[in-house]
Amino acid sequence: MTARPHLFALAAIVVAGLLAALGVRSAVVLDLVFTLLLYAVLGQSWNWISGYAGNISFGHAIFFGCGAYASALCVTHGLSPWLAIPAGALAAALLALVTGFPTLGLRGHYFSIATIAVAALVEVFVRTSPALGKANGFELPIASGWAAMQFPQKGPYVMLALALFAIVQLATIALERSRLGYYLRALRANHAAAASVGIDERRYKLIAFAWSAAMAAAAGVLYAQYTLFVDPPSTIALAVSIDIALIGVVGGIGTLWGPLAGALVYVVLAKAVALRMGGTGKGYDLVIYGAIICVIAALRPYGIVGTIVDALRRRRGASVAVPTAGTAA
Amino acid sequence: MEALGTFGQLLVGGLLTGLVFALVAVGLTLVYGVMDVVNFAHGEFLMLAMYATLGLALLGLGPLVGLPLVAIAMFLFGIVVYRVFVRRLLAGPPEATVFGTFGLLVLLQGVAQATLTSDFQSAPNPPFRGTLHLGAIAVSQATVIEGIGALVLTAALFAFVEYTETGRAMRAVAEDRVAATLMGIDVQRVNGLAFGIGAACVGAAGALLMLSYPVYPTAGAPFALTAFVVVALGGFGSIQGALVGALLVGMLEVFGGFYLSPEMKMVPVYLAYLAIVLLRPQGLLGRR
Repeated sequence: MTARPHLFALAAIVVAGLLAALGVRSAVVLDLVFTLLLYAVLGQSWNWISGYAGNISFGHAIFFGCGAYASALCVTHGLSPWLAIPAGALAAALLALVTGFPTLGLRGHYFSIATIAVAALVEVFVRTSPALGKANGFELPIASGWAAMQFPQKGPYVMLALALFAIVQLATIALERSRLGYYLRALRANHAAAASVGIDERRYKLIAFAWSAAMAAAAGVLYAQYTLFVDPPSTIALAVSIDIALIGVVGGIGTLWGPLAGALVYVVLAKAVALRMGGTGKGYDLVIYGAIICVIAALRPYGIVGTIVDALRRRRGASVAVPTAGTAA
Repeated sequence: MEALGTFGQLLVGGLLTGLVFALVAVGLTLVYGVMDVVNFAHGEFLMLAMYATLGLALLGLGPLVGLPLVAIAMFLFGIVVYRVFVRRLLAGPPEATVFGTFGLLVLLQGVAQATLTSDFQSAPNPPFRGTLHLGAIAVSQATVIEGIGALVLTAALFAFVEYTETGRAMRAVAEDRVAATLMGIDVQRVNGLAFGIGAACVGAAGALLMLSYPVYPTAGAPFALTAFVVVALGGFGSIQGALVGALLVGMLEVFGGFYLSPEMKMVPVYLAYLAIVLLRPQGLLGRR
């Protein structure tokens, strides 16, 4: 299938996002757009390792945290926050390589529980490390301008998030068409068969994991510059990891646009619940996300986008590429 | 002498904690053994059971009187969840059971938070508030009752699986699903029973825990995380393994909390998980 429709769709989103960043004055709307794009990037990052490669991670927040903490450390040590993007991405990629090397060969729940264990160990490390602000974290000093990556208005933040989103989507379009993408999907569908034709599972999953971690770290830098506050519960805790996985699963694992769809559902629901119920509505959003995931898992394991893709393919009369129930074992 | 007393104190504390972990973990491992599903919502089942116990306690039925009622209610709840939900997950791709039960975790936590608030709640006037002294070692009566109760129930489950006809059918399904079907075993029925019994285990554990713990929407999560480690240590699917693993993890947590620091008490537990799945994935007692 050609990449052209995807590129057109991406271009349309970038144009719409730019118009919003330049034209919309409402801080509430811009905040929603920024959050949507940031979550879409995190969902896509998760999707590389958990969707395309099939290793479901419940500890992805540690890579987001690498970026957020890199940003906090750079700024508090008088360095440019722009430096935090390569530094955070590199740290996250290294962390992914070190933790992925032993664990990526684990299957199913063995891997998923290992990610929880690794993330919990990282959180304890951060909480006890004075250089990383222990449990208190960091407040970033206020500045302004592109050099400091801080802005009084939200428009420039939306532009940055849009740029990051576009890069990540382009990378994913490239992944879907690359050798790496085919290898990962082959490994996910049947690792034994893939290994028997010479695909090195550890090598290709490590590559995907490192890129995935680097993307999440870039989102972390942007998040830190946006909220100007970084601490363990807001960046590396299990709850953040669960939110990231939630976005990935709701939209549809292993699909190009799934993370954006998942982030849209997430942001809209969170906002709607907050508006309708105010502070008393705590928990109702969880009920809805949980119900969506249950329904999707039981009836439509390939999520919103997976279902649409499937329906389109059926209408064209082509064979269904998404493996149907039971064949993926 | 003092160091020895502290050691004994920690040892007894670790063993008693471990026994409760065992009861939570055998429910998880039974479901895993029979149908290859790790129920990520296992801790939320425990949380529901704790709330149910609290409800009965508010009506005047103490945790120990409430225990059989809660266990039966959770058994039925487990069967319904299997029939309505887990059965469908099993028909999907292998990831479906991971993120499906993860969705159930989010749903149940949300329901608890929305309807029962995030406040910590304890059973009113819990019995066994005294302390027992065994030489230099002091333990609260509630902890002793929890540990003994959990041990008895774990042993009962082991006997059930080992010596009853239904237990034999479960082991047959765990061994080879297709062969069991050919022998005339109704796999769906066995799966449903196993899921119900798994839920009943946390039902009983939840009732016992209300003797000394408060309940809140995420109260089950730490127990479930511990249970994953216990089950991995003992070998996924092995009941004796879960008991041994639970006692080990109970010790690791109590000694880790004392000699390292309270916020690092889970570090040895998680390191043990990583070490075991990487070096001996079949668990300490599991077979390949």
